[in-house]
Amino acid sequence: MAEKNEKEILQDLTGEEYKYGFTTDIETDLIEKGLSEAVVRLISEKKGEPEWMTEKRLEAYRYWLTLEHPTWAHLDIPEIDFQEVIYYAAPKPKKQLGSMDEVDPELKRTFDKLGIPLEEQMALAGVAVDAVMDSVSVKTTFRETLKEKGIIFCSISEAIKEHPELIQKYLGSVVPYKDNFYAALNAAVFSDGSFCYIPKGVRCPMELSTYFRINAAGTGQFERTLIVADEGSYVSYLEGCTAPQRDENQLHAAVVEIVVEKDAEVKYSTVQNWYPGDKEGKGGVYNFVTKRGLCRENGRLSWTQVETGSAITWKYPSCVLLGDNSVGEFYSVAMTNNFQQADTGTKMIHIGKNTRSRIVSKGISAGKSQNAYRGLVRVNPGADNARNYSQCDSLLIGDQCGAHTFPVVDCRNRTAVLEHEATTSKISDDQLFYCNQRGLTTEDAVGLIVNGYAREVLAKLPMEFAVEAQKLLALQLEGSVG
Amino acid sequence: MLKVKNLHASVEGKEILRGINLEVKAGEVHAIMGPNGSGKSTLASVLAGNEKFTVTAGEVEFEGKSLLDYSIEDRARMGLFLGFQYPVEIPGVTMANFMKIAVNEQRKFRGEEPLSAAEYLKLMREKAKVVELDTKLTSRAVNEGFSGGEKKKNEIFQMAMLDPKLAILDETDSGLDIDALRIVATGVTKLHTSENATVVITHYQRLLDYIVPDYVHVLYKGRIIYTGDKSLALKLEKEGYDWLINDYKE
Amino acid sequence: MELHDMISGFEPVAERLTLSGKEQRTAVAVDPETLDVELASGAEGHLVVVHEKPTASTLRVHLAEGASLVLNELFVAEAFTTVEVDQEAESRLKLTAVELGSANARYTIQLRGAHAESEVNGLFLTGGEEHAELTIRTNHLVADCSSRSIARGVAGGKSVGRFEGMVYVAKDAQRTDAEQQNRNLLLSDQARIETMPQLEIYADDVKCSHGATVGQMDQEAIYYMRQRGIDEQQARRLQIAGFVEELVMHCDEESWCSAVSELLEAKLHTI
Repeated sequence: MAEKNEKEILQDLTGEEYKYGFTTDIETDLIEKGLSEAVVRLISEKKGEPEWMTEKRLEAYRYWLTLEHPTWAHLDIPEIDFQEVIYYAAPKPKKQLGSMDEVDPELKRTFDKLGIPLEEQMALAGVAVDAVMDSVSVKTTFRETLKEKGIIFCSISEAIKEHPELIQKYLGSVVPYKDNFYAALNAAVFSDGSFCYIPKGVRCPMELSTYFRINAAGTGQFERTLIVADEGSYVSYLEGCTAPQRDENQLHAAVVEIVVEKDAEVKYSTVQNWYPGDKEGKGGVYNFVTKRGLCRENGRLSWTQVETGSAITWKYPSCVLLGDNSVGEFYSVAMTNNFQQADTGTKMIHIGKNTRSRIVSKGISAGKSQNAYRGLVRVNPGADNARNYSQCDSLLIGDQCGAHTFPVVDCRNRTAVLEHEATTSKISDDQLFYCNQRGLTTEDAVGLIVNGYAREVLAKLPMEFAVEAQKLLALQLEGSVG
Repeated sequence: MLKVKNLHASVEGKEILRGINLEVKAGEVHAIMGPNGSGKSTLASVLAGNEKFTVTAGEVEFEGKSLLDYSIEDRARMGLFLGFQYPVEIPGVTMANFMKIAVNEQRKFRGEEPLSAAEYLKLMREKAKVVELDTKLTSRAVNEGFSGGEKKKNEIFQMAMLDPKLAILDETDSGLDIDALRIVATGVTKLHTSENATVVITHYQRLLDYIVPDYVHVLYKGRIIYTGDKSLALKLEKEGYDWLINDYKE
Repeated sequence: MELHDMISGFEPVAERLTLSGKEQRTAVAVDPETLDVELASGAEGHLVVVHEKPTASTLRVHLAEGASLVLNELFVAEAFTTVEVDQEAESRLKLTAVELGSANARYTIQLRGAHAESEVNGLFLTGGEEHAELTIRTNHLVADCSSRSIARGVAGGKSVGRFEGMVYVAKDAQRTDAEQQNRNLLLSDQARIETMPQLEIYADDVKCSHGATVGQMDQEAIYYMRQRGIDEQQARRLQIAGFVEELVMHCDEESWCSAVSELLEAKLHTI
């Protein structure tokens, strides 16, 4: 039923003829670069936020001022001048192109390879599209279906105005502004993001995907997402964008918070392909993300991520297993090429009894890139019978890259059983020779082998997403073997 | 020696044994056969006291005592031995040390003095011969790195050391080549006297060429549905279980 | 064999131990502040280091080409030690460290020459309010070396045990074969085990693996032992003893092994 709905909508969308053309320039709304209390107030004011929200932002800002930039990651981060960043630009002043002909041919080639529908390509590349793409019809169709179930799915700015009781209750409840440097920064200046509330006992009838993917293109650099799955509910949430984002914003600091109430289940999938910089390592997005979910009794949270983009990735989607019998999962493929650096992993905090967690991390390093898994499994004294299984594999392509594993296991309960395993391997010459002999090019062979290696994780993604992610992995590897 | 009356047992809420009745007297050899999943190994585990299983009804009398009232170790000390289908590896604990503790625990239970080091060594050498066990194995960790055959021989060696009244051998023949099977089976036969009893659980008739049973029971869906003499095993080998279990299919 | 009887059988050294080629010697150092150990090409040595006082200690070892050293270090007092071993081509190191309570031992193994091999076994056993730390860092600086680091920990009472392992494989250290294993038993709910088995790898043609576990007793093994008439408490103790002794059981010097085994047993009864 749910799938049918989604399919119908997709069909409507793709079957329809679009009128492409110019639109009036979106009014550019920029404020001065730099950060101060005045800027925080201004952001809040421009978004028409209530006073309590402004105060929340200021509190976070004042705390942020006391912090220093973290240095513990296995990353070489150029010094970031936070006074050089523009903290508010909405809607994003993207250069509007007249037609697909004006799009950078390399970008267009990537789109084609990924098999992204034309209308989506235009949205992603910043080609001006009329109201159809603005998706009034799509949006309303989706919204009506969701509304029937009592599901709230809107921008976080809208939620602050329309559902202040929910925002006040949950925003910052899982990732408080005091959590870390970038969480504090985000709490002070977040531009926008999504809010999702699934009421008690409701199974969200569709994957919150296509709608979001199209709209995600415009969300800014300080994204804030809050998902609340009330008792006994279920939602599968897809974030991100499989097409490369030619984003001129270098600094991204998003926060995602998930509340999984009793007996609820949330699946959160990400495919991240922000601009990784060029082959010489120039440019590219710095992606500092804080993602965390809190599970109450019997709650279940599953993170799946395919990270192929960004020049620097700093990201640890985590689960706080507070309730008894709650379950946390983390499935990750992180691929780095050229001069990319990734330091990513997860934290599983076992607090409730009989809590279980599972970590499967597949790192792929190519070119001159550095790829690190960093993880924490903690079992608190009361977490009787906690179980964790972690598997962290690294695949190296070429001898110029690095693959690293930094796990921490901290156990304070004698009934816990925790296992961690890691292996490191490369694509063997025999494997390549075998594929070559069967007529595959080396590039195809590498793509094939990498996809096989990552399969356990890719299989966790929703179907349509998985196909694109697979293509993306192969694409990202181009030029890494030779 | 052993009287099992209407024994019911379950695991995780699922009933596996559904009314077992069985009597074993001193000097007897019983074989329990039956298709996969009929409850053979469960019966062995329940008699040994494995805590994974819950007895829901019935009683078991062993040497005049109510067996189910006793802990796993006390049952063992009373003279009940279970030969494991999958003997467990215990890293870092040598066979010799393990058996020494076990033998002396049994002696303590019977009110006997512990064996001296010399007496113990002598006993160990003597018993190792029964199953042609290389005594070098006794200085290795329990079952660790043992081949399939060595593990099973080791079970019979331990049986010889502990001299049980009732030995229940759970699929002792599985995973053995013909030589190992002969050695293991001959060992069991050597240990058999008019004072003790043996229950062998097996899939195959071939073990029973060596260990000749007085009774052969067919276990199916948690009940003994047929009892015969050794010729029953041959018939089952030839004709399978279908002729027997057709009446019991649901 | 008593620890002191055993020690008295060896040649005592302080500050410096030098072995020339083809020389074979067994030596013992008690509470050395600093000790430099130099094994010439082809030399074979066995060194026992015992820490009986809560002091700080630095041990520097150089193994020339083809030299081979067995190093056994025992902590019966809360010592802070740093051990650095430099290994040239085709040299071999077998190190066993046993911390019987609070101690802090840091080992750094530098594999500098092709076909150098190292094996490091580390163990801590803590009870009460003790705190033991064990760090094993192996740096594969050149190609074709192999290393094994095996660490075990047992923590009872309110004690804390911490293991930090690192296998570093430099760029161009191809065909490295490195294994890192860490297993732990927690005996009480107030005790704490922290483990960090890490890999940092800059070469692609390598075989590196690590595994770490924190767990409880093997229930199947307990059942098996009970079926043989051993009571539950004893079965548990036996299993813990097996878990720790496994690591020292295969050490080269028998008198050393039996002395350590006795100390381990005695320690186990206190936690």
